[in-house]
Order: sequence, then C-alpha cells, then structure tokens
Amino acid sequence: MTRDEIKKNILQIFETEFEIVNPGLDDNLTEEHDFDSIDALELLGEIEKMLDSELTRQEKKDAMEIRTVNQICDYVVSLAEKRTLI
Amino acid sequence: MERRVVVTAASAITPIGHAKDELIHSLINGKSGVKKIRGDDLLTDRVESQVFGTVGYPIDFSFKRKYRKTMGPVAFYACQVVKEALESAGLAQEFISSGRLGVAFGSTHGSPTVQRQIYEHFFSGSEEKFSAIGAVDYLKSMVHTTAVNITKMFEITGRVISSSTACTTSSQSIGYGYEAIKYGMQDAMVCGGADEYDTTTVAVFDNLLACSTEYNQTPHLTPRPFDTKRDGLVVGEGAGAVLLEEYEFAKKRGANILGEVIGFWCGNNGGDLILPNMDGIKETIVQGLKNAGIGPEDVDFVSAHATATKMGDVAESMAIAKVYGKGPCVTGLKGYMGHTMGSCGVIETIITLYMMEKGFMAPTLNLEEVDPRCDTIRHTGRLRETPIKIASIQNFAFGGVNTSLFLKKV
Repeated sequence: MTRDEIKKNILQIFETEFEIVNPGLDDNLTEEHDFDSIDALELLGEIEKMLDSELTRQEKKDAMEIRTVNQICDYVVSLAEKRTLI
Repeated sequence: MERRVVVTAASAITPIGHAKDELIHSLINGKSGVKKIRGDDLLTDRVESQVFGTVGYPIDFSFKRKYRKTMGPVAFYACQVVKEALESAGLAQEFISSGRLGVAFGSTHGSPTVQRQIYEHFFSGSEEKFSAIGAVDYLKSMVHTTAVNITKMFEITGRVISSSTACTTSSQSIGYGYEAIKYGMQDAMVCGGADEYDTTTVAVFDNLLACSTEYNQTPHLTPRPFDTKRDGLVVGEGAGAVLLEEYEFAKKRGANILGEVIGFWCGNNGGDLILPNMDGIKETIVQGLKNAGIGPEDVDFVSAHATATKMGDVAESMAIAKVYGKGPCVTGLKGYMGHTMGSCGVIETIITLYMMEKGFMAPTLNLEEVDPRCDTIRHTGRLRETPIKIASIQNFAFGGVNTSLFLKKV
C-alpha cells in the first residue's frame, strides 16, 4: 500500500461517504467543508476497514488534531507502517 | 404574568395526506389511510394484526448530508414538518437563533429502525459486532433525536423539551410549549411529534390483544372508534409540527393566526399503567377546562383519543359524558389513519385547526353503529358544516398519562 494509493482511497471515501468531492489536500476540512467531529469518527471507522485492522484508543486520540487530507494521509501511512502494510 | 399563545403555522405528514388541502379532502370524502402492513423479516409474519396507518406517498426530503448524517427515519419526518412550518411562518433567522424560540418535540422511542440495526450487529455473532456500530447510531436512535436534529438544522438555541410518553408525546409537546410562552420563558416554540413505520409497536399492542385483527382483508374499515364492531387499534406513522407564538409578538409581525391555545392539562391515573381510567380522564378534562378559564358549555367540538379498543372508548365516552353531557360533537380522528403514536396529538390538533378554519366537523370514520356503552355522548355521525369556536383535543398514553388541550378560534 503506497501513499498514493492511500490518498486515492481517502479521496474516494470523502466523495462517497461525506459528499466532499476533490477537496484541496491542504484545505482545513472543518472550516472549508463542514467536516465535523462526527465525520472524524466515521472516517476512523472507514480507515479501520481500509487497513483491515482495529485502531487502538491512543491511535484514535492521535487523530483528533488532524485537519487536512494531507495530514490524514500521513496518519494512515504511519498506521500502515506500524502494521507492516507498507 | 400570563401571556396569550397562538398557533401561527402548522404542517403534518399523515396516512391521509401531507398538504393541508389533501388532508381536508380526505376528511370530507371519508378517505382512509390504513393499508395492509408492509412485510419485514422480523415481526410481520408473527403478528395477527396485518394493517397499518401508512404514509404511502413519496416525500421530497432535500436535506444536506451534514443534517442527514444524524437522522433516522423519524428525524426526517420531524425536520420536514418543522421546515414547512417555519417556512410558512416566515420568521427571520435572527429570531429563530435568538434563544427566544425553543423546541418541544418528541417520539415514542427515537428511531426503532436504527435501534434494530444496532441489535442486529450485537446478535449477529460477528467479530465486528461492536465496531460495526456507527459513531452516529446513537444520535439517530436516541429518544430526543427529533428535537435535537431540529435544533441543528434550523440553528435553534432556545430551550429543548423532548417528551417521550408514547401517545401523549406530542400533546405534551404542545402543552409544555404553550406553558413556556404563557409564563414568559420563551416567545415562540415549535412543537410536535413524529413516529416512523415500526412493526415493534404493532407486536407490543398485538400481544396485549389491543390491535385490530378482524379487518386484515379490508384495512380501510378499521379502526372503528366507538362502533359496536370495533376490535382494537391500528398502529400508524406520521409527524406534525405547530409553531406557537406569544400573541402580541405574532400580531405585531402580521403572522397568520390559526387559533389560540387557551388551556392545557396533563395528569396521571396514579395506578395501572395500561388500563384506561375514567376518573383520570375526567379529571384531566376538568382541570383543562379550569386552566382554559371556560366551562363545559363553551366547548363545541372534542377530538377524542378514541383508539377503538374495547375498553378505552367506553372509559373515554363515560368521562366525556360526565363533564360535557351531550354538548359538544365528538369525533375520533383515528378512524381515518389509525394511531400515529407519538404524533397523534399534534396531528389531531392540526386537523382540528383546519376544521376550525374551514368551518366543518369531520365525522368519525367507520362509526356505523354506536356501541350503546359509548352512546352517552354526541357523536359526529356525519360531515357537519358548522363553525367551531372552542375545541378540545384529548390524548391518553400507556403509563396512565392523560392530556387535554383547548383551542379557540381567534
């Protein structure tokens, strides 16, 4: 799983699950796309499905400061590395 | 200081129509909204009652995802009727979000559809049964889901009251909304209730032998309030919202006043949680009249709770007779649409307001031969073209909760 593949998957999730199409990679998702705390929790569920692995409580807490698609990609890359998926 | 409270907008989704004209047309033409129950994989094959008061037409819910994501079917109904009521009222957004407008809205038990999905995960035997529960499932299913989805969608910042008392849910909403304005806590309240299509409720009443079962092949002939051949209630779905405003505020802004709420009472039978209680009903009517500052002789029309159960209709008839004698005309509106549960009080209030405006009284549908034990009151046996000056709406719920609301034409 490469970073590009992760980015593609994340953008697909944004389109299908959150009706946010092609957001700028550094857009503040909360301010520019109404992406709120509920969406963030739903996104974590989608990431678990993508990685086929449950996130730990700490990993979920670590995600709470994330604001952009690029940061989400970095976060998923780090999770994938820990699970030796990359 | 007590302030006058008026109704300035209303909207309902019911088994007999959505728009005001449709509802009036159904009432005048004796159209029933009771249909054969829709099959599900859980209960419909096991319940004896195979009829349901069904909203059998499409509704264009054009809600953005940011609102939809926390809504189960019941909240869709609730937000739609509130949207229509607020649009009709023409209130400025500045006022809606000022803290002077609140919400009193509820449902019998949140969204049973979503609750069922949650339990399906739990009992699926799947390893994912915990993580499969979505982050928003609670927001969609909780008992106050209607009220808070309304506050979110319309950016309402005033007080929130979310009754969940089964069949008195929305009559309590109106009553508590009325009191909040009357005593100066809020200047306006959007009030009502909703319940979605749910076969669990059918199963509950079916097990209590309270559901209609003899008309499964002719759904439009049931329920039959006060009729000798009644055989129980018919569960239904629906929603309704009314906007209440302080009278001077409404008048000043040129609002269209549909009627005035002049009194409300809520009491409990103080005992059995299921059986109807004539004394409890009578006391609720008496206290409601006192609260409204009127006598029984002032009331022209009573919208009875009249679910068409064997005992309930008799107890209610006796209570009405004790207070009113054969004075006001009495109609059981559930004959048209079944028992829409948490929304019945507000739907019956809205229909009464429409009849008040148009100057007619709809008869009790399917009342062909009055049960002698219910013949102590003046039934609306046919369509009557007559003005209604003061009307009462009565509702009673499991748990022994009774309400009476009083409306006056302005």
